[in-house]
Amino acid sequence: MINTFAQIDYLASAGRSPWHRASAISKMGLTLLFVVLAVFTASWGTLLGLLATSLLLCFSARLPVALIGAAAATPVLFSAVFVFAHWTGDRVEPFVLLMRPMISSLTAMWLVGTTPYPDLFAPLSRVLPRVVGDSLFLTYRAVFALLERMERLWKALSLRGAMTGSPARRAGMMGEAVGTLVLSGFDRSHRLYQTMLLRGHSGRICGCRHYLAPTREDRWVLATALWVVALAVVLGGWRPA
Amino acid sequence: MSHLHIPDGVLPPIVWIIGAVLAGLLLILSARSTRHLGPQRIAFQSALGGIMLAVMAIPVPITAFDYCMTLSGPVGVLLGGWGGFQVSFVVTLILALMGQGGFTVVGLNTLVLGLGAVLSRSIYLMSAQRWGPAHAMALATAISQLVSTLVWVLTLWLSVRLTPRIAGQHEMAEGLRFLQGGLLLTVLVPMLVGAIALESLLAYGLARFLSRVRPDLLPALPGLDHARATAGL
Repeated sequence: MINTFAQIDYLASAGRSPWHRASAISKMGLTLLFVVLAVFTASWGTLLGLLATSLLLCFSARLPVALIGAAAATPVLFSAVFVFAHWTGDRVEPFVLLMRPMISSLTAMWLVGTTPYPDLFAPLSRVLPRVVGDSLFLTYRAVFALLERMERLWKALSLRGAMTGSPARRAGMMGEAVGTLVLSGFDRSHRLYQTMLLRGHSGRICGCRHYLAPTREDRWVLATALWVVALAVVLGGWRPA
Repeated sequence: MSHLHIPDGVLPPIVWIIGAVLAGLLLILSARSTRHLGPQRIAFQSALGGIMLAVMAIPVPITAFDYCMTLSGPVGVLLGGWGGFQVSFVVTLILALMGQGGFTVVGLNTLVLGLGAVLSRSIYLMSAQRWGPAHAMALATAISQLVSTLVWVLTLWLSVRLTPRIAGQHEMAEGLRFLQGGLLLTVLVPMLVGAIALESLLAYGLARFLSRVRPDLLPALPGLDHARATAGL
């Protein structure tokens, strides 16, 4: 998981595709459009068109194939459970239930893979209560250090034999290990917040409006939005016989 | 178990819309009640959110599946109900952005995780005086996990019931339902018991460690000297 987090974070900041240069707010709008269309349409045609477009978005953003594959495959397992629970003998419905989450997950991957997290969280923190908005930023920043520390801790515990013995003993040891993480995470976040206050933190992290600044590449986002709306209108009623 | 990894487009809109509205209202209420809290509290909340995400990354193989620990019980005990609810929201939002669970189920996920966190502080306070922090934390975690899982199952049940294309008298559907009933007893219930036991033991270890090293991070017990309570364990 740490690799996935770190890889996405790196891609979002270091990527050089036109999507990386488009404004965060336009990309968030496009993602919302994809999710809404995917969730509410029952048309095969629209869903296939959306799936092809979301794949094109991911490949044109130069996201690694492994990440794209993971984004497409992860929701399939959970959808398959629901398909099983729903089975009515209809062979079309399962495909609709499998395609919808794939579209949403691929579009989410495209969004987070092309947008650095301050630009992604800044508009969210504008609509969220201050304490929650600040918490969003600090949690995201804390998670990398904590994941790294946890991996080191786990290796040390395993090497020293803490992961042997009865399950109760092992779980107790794991709890104590999590306790050290709680303390180090708390100290780290506290130091970070104090530093921010010393540097003149105004009470809301990232007061910048960079995410709103329009760029030339926004026209690609707009063109994609028009394309998917056209898809939904033209293919809205299409289902295979 | 108490976290919906359900992606977008699977649950009927009525279920996730109600979930989103309820979670939004509770989030506003929680923000009002925690408005007076200082930066130290925000730092602690964020650290615990990061730890929740980190712990979720530990794969715990139970049967053929990897169980995903949540720590919602201990987080609720350490932060209280509203703080725990806010952390649940932040964690589920970050997970949704990483493709773990859909955007549309962020509200439902927050409710499922947050409900456990909200309950756990009260259970801890009721039991800590008698049994000490470590046992009380384990008990609070077990009950909160159980309640979260019940809400999770209720959400799925509601979703299946509210889907218009659900099978009626279809023979195959009846067969599948029988199979699901069997699966529930033979696979899911033992998995649930194992997961709750694991999470409770983890919480026990965590509380035992904190009560030794930083007892001030544990909630103060009403009408009892904190040092005495922690020394009694």
